[in-house]
Amino acid sequence: MAGRTRTTKKLAQRIDLNYFKRLYPIPRWRRILSIALVALGLVWLLLARERPYNAGPLAHSHALLGRNCTACHTAAAFGKKVTDQACVPCHDGPIHQKKQTFTPACTDCHVEHQGSFRLAATLDTACTQCHADLKVKTSPTVFAPRVTSFAGDHPAFKLGTDPGTVKLNHEVHLKKDLRSPRGLVQLKCADCHRSAGDFMAPVDYEKNCAECHPLLFDKRFEEPAPHKKPEIVLDYVTKRFTDYIARHPEEVHMADPADPRIMRPPLRPARDAAEWIARRVSDTEMLLWRKSCKECHPVPKPREIPLAAIPARWMQHAWFSHDAHQMLTCAECHPKAATSRETSDVLLPTIETCRRCHRSGADSAESRCFECHVYHDWSKEKRPDGRSISDATRQ
Amino acid sequence: MSVQLTIDGVAVSVPDGTTVFDAARMNGIAIPTLCHQQNETPVGVCRVCVVEAGGRVLTASCVRPAENGMVVSTNSEKVVNARRTLVELLMADHPSPCARQRQSGDCELETLARLEGLGEPRFPKRLSSRGQDESSFAIAVDHEACILCDRCIRGCDEIRSNNVLGRRGKGFNAGIAFDLNAPMGNSTCVSCGECMVSCPTGALTNRRVVETELHGDPVESEELKQLRYFEKVSGTFLELNRNAIVRRNFRKGEIICREGEYGSTAFYIVEGTAQVYLSTPIAHVKTSGGASGFFSRLGSRLAGRKQDRRDGETDRRSIPIDAPVDLPYDSPIAELGPGDLFGEMTCMSLYPRSATVQAATDCVMYEMLRNVLDIMQRNKTLKAQIDDNYRRRALEDHLKSVPIFAPLTEEFIDSLRASVELIRYNKGDVICRQGDLADAFYLIRIGFIKVAEDHPEGELILAYLGRGGYFGEIGLLTEGRRVATCTALDHVEVVRISKDDFQRMMDAFPDVRARLESVAIRHQEENRQRATVNVPLNQFLTQGLMEAQSLLILDLEKCTRCDNCVRACADAHDGITRLIREGLRYENYLVATSCRQCRDPLCMVGCPVGSIRRRNSLEVIIEDWCIGCGLCAKNCPYGNITLHPFRVGAEVKKKATSCDLCTEHAEPSCVYACPHDAAHRVDPNQFFMRRA
Amino acid sequence: MRIDGSHRYWAAATVGLFLIGVSVYVAFGVYSPSGPRGGNGLGLAFGIAGYVLMLYAGLLGMRKKFPVLRIGRAQTWMRGHLWLGLLSFPLILFHGGFAWRGPLTAILMLLFLIVIVSGIFGAALQHYLPRMMTVQVPMETIYEEIPHVRQQLRQEADQLVEATAQIDVEHDDKVRFRELYQSRIRPVLEQPPPELFAPLRVAIPAPLRETLDDLENICEEQRQLNRQVRLYHWLHVWLLVHVPLSIALLVLGGVHAFMALRY
Repeated sequence: MAGRTRTTKKLAQRIDLNYFKRLYPIPRWRRILSIALVALGLVWLLLARERPYNAGPLAHSHALLGRNCTACHTAAAFGKKVTDQACVPCHDGPIHQKKQTFTPACTDCHVEHQGSFRLAATLDTACTQCHADLKVKTSPTVFAPRVTSFAGDHPAFKLGTDPGTVKLNHEVHLKKDLRSPRGLVQLKCADCHRSAGDFMAPVDYEKNCAECHPLLFDKRFEEPAPHKKPEIVLDYVTKRFTDYIARHPEEVHMADPADPRIMRPPLRPARDAAEWIARRVSDTEMLLWRKSCKECHPVPKPREIPLAAIPARWMQHAWFSHDAHQMLTCAECHPKAATSRETSDVLLPTIETCRRCHRSGADSAESRCFECHVYHDWSKEKRPDGRSISDATRQ
Repeated sequence: MSVQLTIDGVAVSVPDGTTVFDAARMNGIAIPTLCHQQNETPVGVCRVCVVEAGGRVLTASCVRPAENGMVVSTNSEKVVNARRTLVELLMADHPSPCARQRQSGDCELETLARLEGLGEPRFPKRLSSRGQDESSFAIAVDHEACILCDRCIRGCDEIRSNNVLGRRGKGFNAGIAFDLNAPMGNSTCVSCGECMVSCPTGALTNRRVVETELHGDPVESEELKQLRYFEKVSGTFLELNRNAIVRRNFRKGEIICREGEYGSTAFYIVEGTAQVYLSTPIAHVKTSGGASGFFSRLGSRLAGRKQDRRDGETDRRSIPIDAPVDLPYDSPIAELGPGDLFGEMTCMSLYPRSATVQAATDCVMYEMLRNVLDIMQRNKTLKAQIDDNYRRRALEDHLKSVPIFAPLTEEFIDSLRASVELIRYNKGDVICRQGDLADAFYLIRIGFIKVAEDHPEGELILAYLGRGGYFGEIGLLTEGRRVATCTALDHVEVVRISKDDFQRMMDAFPDVRARLESVAIRHQEENRQRATVNVPLNQFLTQGLMEAQSLLILDLEKCTRCDNCVRACADAHDGITRLIREGLRYENYLVATSCRQCRDPLCMVGCPVGSIRRRNSLEVIIEDWCIGCGLCAKNCPYGNITLHPFRVGAEVKKKATSCDLCTEHAEPSCVYACPHDAAHRVDPNQFFMRRA
Repeated sequence: MRIDGSHRYWAAATVGLFLIGVSVYVAFGVYSPSGPRGGNGLGLAFGIAGYVLMLYAGLLGMRKKFPVLRIGRAQTWMRGHLWLGLLSFPLILFHGGFAWRGPLTAILMLLFLIVIVSGIFGAALQHYLPRMMTVQVPMETIYEEIPHVRQQLRQEADQLVEATAQIDVEHDDKVRFRELYQSRIRPVLEQPPPELFAPLRVAIPAPLRETLDDLENICEEQRQLNRQVRLYHWLHVWLLVHVPLSIALLVLGGVHAFMALRY
């Protein structure tokens, strides 16, 4: 304005040359707050002892350890702190396969401090660290080289082949109006296949077949022959006939009519009991080896019937529980059973069947690796030494 | 032979040739006068002394010789009326009470008016003022009070034979003049005071020098008149200036004056010897470190020319000071003896003391103020002595201190001694003008001159030169005309070497010529570069930004006012910042207070030891012998120079510092330390014009 | 710092490194045996990288204490602070596997979030406020010297009013003017209300109006200084959040790193 002028010299001379050396409010408070906050943080750390460093609540199974960090965490030079030595006193974790190229540490797969859930429920990544690109120590592996998820690239189930030791036609057995000693019946799956908890109990002759398929060998007897080894059957049969002729000696000299069952022409009467027994046993053998047993078993040579040896567990590498799937009908997973005629049909479900429910994402059944597979080979488990409770829980 | 006449009825007898006035005076009859003074030739211009002598008209008694049988009446009615009218007419234009009436109450005109019983004059005062002349240190001139009595002219011509005063103009515009109507202070007036003593009114009065009361014993005028320099000075004048010169006695070892102090007196050594030296370390403020090493810090320390050589630094072997001798660079100490006068620049132009003077033996000195020094300096005898002194002692040092003239031999300088002229100039005098024929080469003995080129847009200042500087060589080397105008800025004395002598020097010493030529070519190149000034913008002009060759600008749109630049500058310079984040704005930039490397470096004017100069046309370099007086800081119009204190032993010495652009590093520290890309050192013309 | 085109190389490098980090995290982190954790090799790498960048960002404060050390231009450090500091944020998120975990790590993550957010806020302020300040406060001076300048302005005002004694007006007018100054203007010199002078101007005779104009100019300067103080506070107070929290973050982060690696 009128009288006031602004020149550089006037403005510069207003300023004290040392102004920037003094500590004004904002820089002062910056300094105070910095020191105060750091001090506060350090005091909190000192007072709270180990609580701040606790990354999360322990799993229920370890909850007893409570605040005792050193039960698992050892202070050592920098490196992996919670080694397997922390777990081994209480748990043994046998390795998976002898051929595996490396053995991960316990904590690689079982992550604690994540809250209370099953520690055994590992993430898929624990498995895929090997199985995503499977390499083994010696020869190439027979297993799928790359498996990363069930819903994704899990290989199809290797169901195996039927050993062919027992002949069965499911369709016949499941049709309506099946002739049975009790009249016409309609069989259900559960009539022959009973759950033993996880797997199906093996089909047993006595329980499941004998009612409709008794081993009757002679009209004279009502009891069937035992379903056992051929020697035992022979012995039994022989004994029965011996007992019978001993009690009915007159039948020795009766004529033997033709036996349509075995296509034997009539025979003149036996000369004596021994021959009569022999004839009867021979007939029975003929019946059994040529007809009855052959109904269900292959009989390569008389008196030689290979053991049925139907595998109790078809899929060796995965665990399955029928009880866990009680809510489903048999036909949901075994649809081909009703129409299966061939014994060679393996009626176990394919992976697609399982994937119907065991998918990834919400609203699906658990499809992570641990649901069906187990890493540790528990058959090789060594009992650990264990630890005393007071050791483990000492603060 | 005697003459008989009658005056107021009294018969008197006087020798032949006596004037009527004298005749009356001899016989106890007083006739009032104004323009007549006993020791001067009468001229009869005022007509106050008129008497009746029987003629047709009244006659001026001071010039009329007495004749036999004259009948003179000094107080007849006619005479009295005439006298009264005359005095009334003179009083009408008189600024009563005039200076003399106020000072001593004895203005002759006003006394006369009172005696005549005159009241308020009937006549109106003249409308236009005749003016005053304050240019002389000793005598105040008030033309309003001048009655053109001619006494001063006669005093200057007849009594003192200085022939300075004369008349100018005619009739209504007539007046007294010094030389060819120059201001009194710029004329050849030697301030003897005779005119002032002669003046009847307050037209010429003694100026009271009000400043310092000098401590010391007052010197009687008789004692002063013993000195040759005061022989021709009016005793009355010396009386009037009694307190302006004192005698000082110094014991051995006493400090007479200290470098850097402000003063207003000069000293003349009567007896004894004194040592003159610089107590400030002969070193410059060096910003060290930084260029080498990753973590190196910058610090400030003092470093001499030998430890740290900067380019553009001179190799001057002597330091120019305000004394008859120069101090050698390597050991800056010299001796002054009886007859030496020192402190002239301080006294005449009020510059700070240029060196410390200490009595080596018991000394007797005169300490004097400006008016007395002026008298001394105008005194031809003293001037001759000073010139002689200079020729004997300083000329050689002076010439040799300029590295270009180093090859000159003793004999040559001897031959020069007699033929050089020492010429004195006053403030504003033009020593040589652009376009004039070159006829001389000049060395500067004391004072500052401005070298400027005339351009259509105005004057372009090329340099300020001080003691030890030289000019005029370009014109002589090219055998042409002067390329710039050189003007005296204050009391200047130059050594003039004539064209012929210069030519002899060039012929005898071809390498001196070669060096001069290379310097001349470089100067011309620099001048040409500086002359390319684009058409400036309006605000640019008003802020004087085109004066600057380098500005530190802070982009206010990026600057977060964090003061990092200031801290960096202070960090680099030992805690004293050379940059202040305050100033005027130009567009969105703040032009920070930091050396602008002005084209017209006002900081350089007045340095008592000539230590601030410019190197390669850009930044200012302060040589090692800066005494920390602070004059450059006062002169800088932007406040860019600060004084940096250093501890030297038990004392604190100061050195002037200003932004040196951190030349040891790739970029200035302030620019380097700004985190926001806001600080820039730019050439304002290129930077702002390019954007416009 | 104005974030303008000259930052593009930094921004490109940061985005590039971020993308590399993302791909490494997705490829290896997500598929590591125990999931993305801070404790396994990759998590540790991310943690170290993130902490180193945080340390570098924190060193800017130290850099400013030694402005002349030739260890890189302050501008480079500042740009590094902005961009690499920003980069440390996703790196630490990758390190932690996007989880809070325990008290210490949760607090660290919280501090980190606040520091990053306040930093971005501050960067935005430093982008816009300097221009605002330049436009709104033409008579700006140095903040720290404002009290000193105010004092000088007060003195100047007082001197102006005293100098009215020389002006050629009626004595009564001068007295009235002085009283007006003492009662109406002087008390509010540092917080002058907007319409202070218009009503006064009428009451003053013409020769004194020039002084009044000068006083008005002084008041305008005071108003601008007030505005400057407010804007300066906006420009600098956020640092009171950013700096102390970041120092606490670095110290506690160091404690976390030590404890995690030791146990």
